[in-house]
Amino acid sequence: MITLTNLQKRFGELEVLKGIDVTIEKGTTAVIIGPSGSGKTTLLRCLNLLETPDGGSISIGNHKIDFSGQKVRGADVAALRKQTGMVFQNYNLFPHLTALQNIMEGPITVLRKPKEEVRKRAMDLLEKVGLRDRADMYPHQLSGGQQQRIGIARAMAMEPAVLLFDEPTSALDPELVGEVLRVMKDLAEEGMTMAVVTHEMQFARDVSDKVIFMDQGVVAEMGTPDEVFGNTKNKRTLQFLNKLNTI
Amino acid sequence: MFADERTQRIIGILSDSFFPILKAGLYFTIPLTLITFVLGLILAFLIAIARLSNVKPLEAAARFFVWIFRGTPLLVQIFILFYGFPSIGITLNPFPAAVIAFTLNKGAYSSEIIRAAILSIPKGQWEAAYSISMTKSQAMRRVILPQAVRVSLPPLGNSFISLVKDTSLAATITVTELFQKGQQIAAVTYEPLWLYIEVAFIYLIFSTVLSFLQSKLEQRYDRMVAK
Repeated sequence: MITLTNLQKRFGELEVLKGIDVTIEKGTTAVIIGPSGSGKTTLLRCLNLLETPDGGSISIGNHKIDFSGQKVRGADVAALRKQTGMVFQNYNLFPHLTALQNIMEGPITVLRKPKEEVRKRAMDLLEKVGLRDRADMYPHQLSGGQQQRIGIARAMAMEPAVLLFDEPTSALDPELVGEVLRVMKDLAEEGMTMAVVTHEMQFARDVSDKVIFMDQGVVAEMGTPDEVFGNTKNKRTLQFLNKLNTI
Repeated sequence: MFADERTQRIIGILSDSFFPILKAGLYFTIPLTLITFVLGLILAFLIAIARLSNVKPLEAAARFFVWIFRGTPLLVQIFILFYGFPSIGITLNPFPAAVIAFTLNKGAYSSEIIRAAILSIPKGQWEAAYSISMTKSQAMRRVILPQAVRVSLPPLGNSFISLVKDTSLAATITVTELFQKGQQIAAVTYEPLWLYIEVAFIYLIFSTVLSFLQSKLEQRYDRMVAK
């Protein structure tokens, strides 16, 4: 489904991604973990081209973009983005639209689907994230957990092949984390392909099919949750996991 | 006795002149303000977009325009247009000349308000729009501008009210707006103090009504915005 080959990204002098090779199979959930500054968020943002890589290639579904050559064409960017949906750390809901309108905006403006059909599907999505009764509320009237669930529904409304989560629970009060993780777990079980940058180790252990541990711009270790959490031999992974446990 | 006669004379002049002056305001000041404000906003929007376009020549042209019209007095701009342009064969009637001068000037100022409002919308909003596959212009139209309008309402409202007062400069090119009318009456009655106070009072009425409308509009937009 997703294949990254020798993906590179630098900000000025700083090499953030130093050649990443990763594949994520269709219908699986990959969790990207690692210390801050390891490049995990940048990697995720490269997947829908919010950051443009400086080298290597990305392929999602049938679309492949090579970044080693000339400038990337707008049409390629659009095609790749259509395959992805993103959930942001700070939700980034549109504050001037209601929950329902937030979800309907993409299908109506971008996909130009008929309004009634879109509304019906949006209500179904609201049902799915447990917020049907909040349809007409504005984002600032919702809790962080509710906003994030709307964020997930908004991304889903575009029917992406892959959902990208950028630390979806990091901005939430602890008691609100569970409701968001539950929605994500449901999606994973339904066979959605997901790439999740997170610090929720329990989620990584229980839900993911693949754990990608990043450190200093490279994939330091990659494997099943059992391999990475259970009996890793990797020194850097051990250090990272030990630090989390001692807090 | 003498003082009483004078008081009565002043009251007579003021009440006789109130409606002619108010009428000049309704016939010239208000239309001039409204027309210029709408045209100025359109121009301002185009300039703001040009400045944010990342197209170097467009950006430079917009910057140059703003530089000229913000850097020179409005009165001088009006004089160049009305008294200066006839010598290169362009003669304008007073009212259109005033509309053009005010529009250019307002456009330059308001473009900075609009540009700042657009830039004040968090980057995450652009990214969210891109993440649901919007193009740049879709993101601008559907996500950024609706929020920027809300941000720019208070400063645009202020600039609108200052425009009401600025239109008094049109008196200098013989537009019989509110102030010009006051001047004319003051000239024949020899009561400048009281007449100009009356003129000020009528401007105050206009500004107050407009401020009220502005705050109503802001309240309407306020409901949607996260504090």
